[in-house]
Amino acid sequence: MNNQKTMLEDSKLVSQYINGNEVAFEELVNRHKSRIFTTIYMIVKDQYVAEDLMQEVFIKAIRTLKSGRYNEEGKFLPWILRIAHNLAIDKFRKNKRYPTIVMDDGNSVFETLEFAEGTFEDIQMKKDVHKSLRKLIQELPEAQKQVLIMRHYMDMSFKEISDQTGVSINTALGRMRYALINLRKKMQQYNIAYDQNFYS
Amino acid sequence: MTKIFTHDDLIRYVYEETEPEENRQIKLALNEDMELLDQYHELLWLKKQMDGGMMNPSEKTINTILEYSKAVNLHPVKED
Repeated sequence: MNNQKTMLEDSKLVSQYINGNEVAFEELVNRHKSRIFTTIYMIVKDQYVAEDLMQEVFIKAIRTLKSGRYNEEGKFLPWILRIAHNLAIDKFRKNKRYPTIVMDDGNSVFETLEFAEGTFEDIQMKKDVHKSLRKLIQELPEAQKQVLIMRHYMDMSFKEISDQTGVSINTALGRMRYALINLRKKMQQYNIAYDQNFYS
Repeated sequence: MTKIFTHDDLIRYVYEETEPEENRQIKLALNEDMELLDQYHELLWLKKQMDGGMMNPSEKTINTILEYSKAVNLHPVKED
């Protein structure tokens, strides 16, 4: 069982994987699947496309790792998130011209969410808030949404965002501020509950 | 006198991008400024909601990825 003391660093898992340990890779996948998948989903807005892209991202990562082309200096998560972001952006741009038709043989977009234990009402309420929140994030102006996804879901620093998007740190920070303020306003507008118990 | 902090400072604080000295001063300010404290709670709440709203890919996708990994062997060139 993993805990803070025994949890192996990503870099060690990557080394083990490169040396043929598939269990190490499974650990990496399980550790980061939610963040990577959510990042993709936030950009492409379609679960089925996100599932396909998730596979594409990992195929790319696996091939890079197994061919010995992985740069040890970079950290695993930011590296794979960058791959995910780039593939998702490419897909999103293509899909804008050719919208995806969702097939009817899969689960609901929100059925795969993981929630903390609680009463049925608690779980339902959290589900509703999270669902609405993701929808509202999609409604933000593009520049604000981009910074929010990069900072929150991709865990990039404001400096990294600034470097990647070609704006100053203050501009990136300002966009994040507007994104969060707008998000909060929209939530109030749609009466999405602000419940202090969520801190618990 | 307690330093005045902006919403941007709070965002950096919530996302753990402030320096230790700033952290100390922000904590002091939060004790004295109720409006700032409210803003801070709102930011924390939003952050928590966004964390809670993370999604998972299907098991099928994960299994496909793991199976692909086991099947592919690219024989990397190793340098000792």
